[in-house]
Amino acid sequence: MQRTVPIDNKKIGNTSKGMRKLGYLLLYLVLAAVAAFQIFPLVWLLLFSLKNNQEVFNLPPLALPSSPKWENYSKVWNAGNIDVYFFNSVWITIVSTVLTILVASLVTFAITRMKWKGSSFVLGLFMVAMMIPVHSTLIPLFNMFSKLNLINHPLSLIASYVAFNMPITIMILLGFYYALPKEVEEAAVIDGCSVNKIFFRITLPMTSSVLATTGIINMIYNWNEFIFVNTFINSDQYKTLTVGVQNFIGQYTTDWGAIGATLMISILPILIAFIFLSDKIVEGIAAGSVKG
Amino acid sequence: MDKVMSNKKIIALYILPALLFIIAIVYVPIILTGYYGLHKWNGIGAMEFIGLENYAALLKDQTFWSSAWHSLLLAIFSTLSLVIYLVVALVLSSRIKGSNLLRKIYLIPMLLSSVAIAQLWLKIYHPTNGILNSFLASLGITNTPEWLANPDVVLYALFIPILWQYAGFYILIYYAALKNIPKSLEEAATIDGANAFQIAYKIKLPLAMEVVKVTIVLALVGSLKYFDLIYVMTNGGPNGASEVMASYMYRIAFKSYDFGYGSAVGFFLLIICLVVTWIVRKLTANKDQTQYS
Amino acid sequence: MFKNKKMLVLLTLCFTLLVAGCGKNAGTNQESDVGNSSNSGDKITINFMHLWPEGVSAGQNKIVNEIINEYQTEHTNVTIKTEVLDNEQYKNKLKVLSASKQLPDVGVTWAAGFMQPYVEGGLFAQVDDLLTGSLNDKFVAGTTEAYALEGHTYALPLEFNIAPIYYNKAIFADNNLQVPTTYEEFKNIVKVLNEKGIAPIALGNKDRWTGSLWYMYLADRIAGQDVLANAIQGAETFKNEGLTKAAQEVQALVDANAFNKGFNGLSNEEAKSEFLNEKAAMYLMGTWELPNFTTNTEISQEFKDKVGFFKFPTVEGGKGNIDSWVGGPGVGLFVSENSKVKEEAKAFVEYFVQKWGERSVTGAGVIPATKVDTASIELPQLYTDLFNEMNKASSVTLFADVQMPANAAEIHLNQIQALFGKTVTPEKFSELHDSALSSQ
Repeated sequence: MQRTVPIDNKKIGNTSKGMRKLGYLLLYLVLAAVAAFQIFPLVWLLLFSLKNNQEVFNLPPLALPSSPKWENYSKVWNAGNIDVYFFNSVWITIVSTVLTILVASLVTFAITRMKWKGSSFVLGLFMVAMMIPVHSTLIPLFNMFSKLNLINHPLSLIASYVAFNMPITIMILLGFYYALPKEVEEAAVIDGCSVNKIFFRITLPMTSSVLATTGIINMIYNWNEFIFVNTFINSDQYKTLTVGVQNFIGQYTTDWGAIGATLMISILPILIAFIFLSDKIVEGIAAGSVKG
Repeated sequence: MDKVMSNKKIIALYILPALLFIIAIVYVPIILTGYYGLHKWNGIGAMEFIGLENYAALLKDQTFWSSAWHSLLLAIFSTLSLVIYLVVALVLSSRIKGSNLLRKIYLIPMLLSSVAIAQLWLKIYHPTNGILNSFLASLGITNTPEWLANPDVVLYALFIPILWQYAGFYILIYYAALKNIPKSLEEAATIDGANAFQIAYKIKLPLAMEVVKVTIVLALVGSLKYFDLIYVMTNGGPNGASEVMASYMYRIAFKSYDFGYGSAVGFFLLIICLVVTWIVRKLTANKDQTQYS
Repeated sequence: MFKNKKMLVLLTLCFTLLVAGCGKNAGTNQESDVGNSSNSGDKITINFMHLWPEGVSAGQNKIVNEIINEYQTEHTNVTIKTEVLDNEQYKNKLKVLSASKQLPDVGVTWAAGFMQPYVEGGLFAQVDDLLTGSLNDKFVAGTTEAYALEGHTYALPLEFNIAPIYYNKAIFADNNLQVPTTYEEFKNIVKVLNEKGIAPIALGNKDRWTGSLWYMYLADRIAGQDVLANAIQGAETFKNEGLTKAAQEVQALVDANAFNKGFNGLSNEEAKSEFLNEKAAMYLMGTWELPNFTTNTEISQEFKDKVGFFKFPTVEGGKGNIDSWVGGPGVGLFVSENSKVKEEAKAFVEYFVQKWGERSVTGAGVIPATKVDTASIELPQLYTDLFNEMNKASSVTLFADVQMPANAAEIHLNQIQALFGKTVTPEKFSELHDSALSSQ
């Protein structure tokens, strides 16, 4: 880093301060504009979930409903099984996510910390798996699950979600594991800790921030997943919200108010979970940065 | 130390669950798909082995190659937009007030399901009632574009919601990576007299590079096999103007009942993704691979 | 903090195992859900998959459940389990199930080209015997034929539709327009409405089959019904002068701004809303739309009173007549050839078709494929008028995309969108159709 020729700071002092303020203002404006652009959909969604079809089609998108039709929400919640779908979405998402994170962490730990010959091959295996377009595995998977009597069983969903989310979770974890300093772990080994102890007591907690990140990513994918549920699950007992939502979007009629309400209901848990977890990220990062 | 870290039993235990999942649910089906691709099969009746005929037809298939071109365009756009996300993440990770809130807001589109996003953007692009055209009309423009009906425009019109859907995702990853950079480095550089730009460019970026490389691959591959919004919003239309490889494959298998050929397309898509990834890794591989041994 | 995490992980694992354990029992019980019901004693289960979810097709859904309940009451040893999906999901699911030969005992299918691969794959049972029983001569002419291949019938139709042009009587009156009987008059209407800034026709061609209706009618009126029918079968070339002219007329309509803005990227639903919101004056659609113009309480009575219909006008010098319609049977019920309860399933289908025919009009506004005694039921005027038209129809040509085999149908639909979008010439349009149909 070169030293710049010392400039008379006092001279440029005032103008550079003004420039800095202007710069900051511009930055804020841009960031705020982007934020507005991002949040606009939620606002719009809320609006049309409270309208009836006529208002949706006739009035401009951002027009306020003449009177908020909360009955759209009650209609959707009561009309067949939304609560069942909701519950299914919740528990299947959580179970799949936790399972994925755990299994992915185990593998990433083994690849980055343990010494063995096949590590790059196994890693390559997961990277290649990321390329696979989901739709082309539908029919073979269905055949396989039906032979195992797992059709219309949530296990088929959980297994599929874990498998398909594994590569990306591993990839994200990988970057962090590489950047994570090994000193603490090495010290533990010298202290005589077993590998399991190191993993569960040291490494996992150290990666808590990225675990939260991958947790969010997994949850979002699982929560919004559609095609597997549609193919593997028959009965209302195990269906999730995404398929339930599709039941309202039909061929001949579209009840926009009901769709909006359903979508709002389907977003809220994820939104809440995100708000909750994202604070944890900050916590984890703060803890980490004090250390490093 | 090495002895502990090369305990074969532990290694096996740690990698087995993941391997099991990936092989049973991803690899076996894809091999089956490759197998189906060697047959003439409508998905219902009997399969007829025809060797590489499907692949030969694929090479001559104009619609496929035009869809491949569209996928490539999407991949290019996605990768280029990574720069924007990186910049945003850089800004966010520095001492800016409200970065916490902004970060959460940016991620919101990611929370919506493709169905929701599709419905929203269909409305935005609506030729007469859509917010976009209403706004343009209010500026006095009379012949507002037909965003989803005009074959010259439709593909690019679709890129916007796709990018918008994933922006928050990449910003989040970059943000986490940047946050992981020890503050001490930044402080030392500031003491040395470096300004914000220099810190960003010379310190933060290189340290986050590994993660950036990961996201490049993610963006490329994700774009190549992208399906959701294309399918829901335009169904690849009008007449293939917005078709991408994955939607083309789906259409062939599930609409035209040509599961043999559809499987071949699916398998070919996989090969393309593999090749692209290999190329990218070769291009971005650098000497510091040894750093991590 | 991590201690809690560990607990969470442990709990989740336990939970998973628990669920797997309980689920396994459910799983084995569900074994019978995929069309493999066992015949233990007298009790049998019939698996019925249909596409009328309550949220979307409330009327049909209600009728289905009523019929099922009645059947179960009359046949106490029979349990009927339903699986309900919406249209797109249904098609998807059917495909996946058929690939592993696990079709439900009773299901819904479309006619002709759609049905063909299933029949050729030996998945649908023949139902000829049902036609000679209580349903003998009950079907409208031409409906069961669409469900027959090589002399055998493989499904029983449940719906019958024709496609009139619905129009907004108030808009016509305001602009001094009369119902057209010739195509020249029709083009004039388009011109007048355009000058007034009203979209003449509501069309949502993203779905493509909607545009196909327009092409088919023009083809019928210009080239004549038999030429069109033969061409679709692949027995006549599309390069026929009349058919090419029909394609040209389609593009002429587009040039004349006959359709709502952005139509080639709008779905049928969005186009329909243009008509419902009186932004467009005319809407060519099937009689399945009738509930929206008659009984649907969500649509204002004021609007419903404004809806009338007219037949597609004749073209000067063309070979088609005004009583020739585009339409045909809608969905039908099939019985799986591999069903373990085939005979019982067939009996149920026979019962269902009968009861459905009695109730579908009044209960769901759906016209069944079985003949309806219009004198004995109270019907809205539009229904009565359309029933009359159906009775005096000279011919009904089945929708092209249903008739053609799946591959050709896709090409046809894509080319329709290209034709309307003016990215293909009428000549190329015909050429592509020929090559698509000849390669079948």
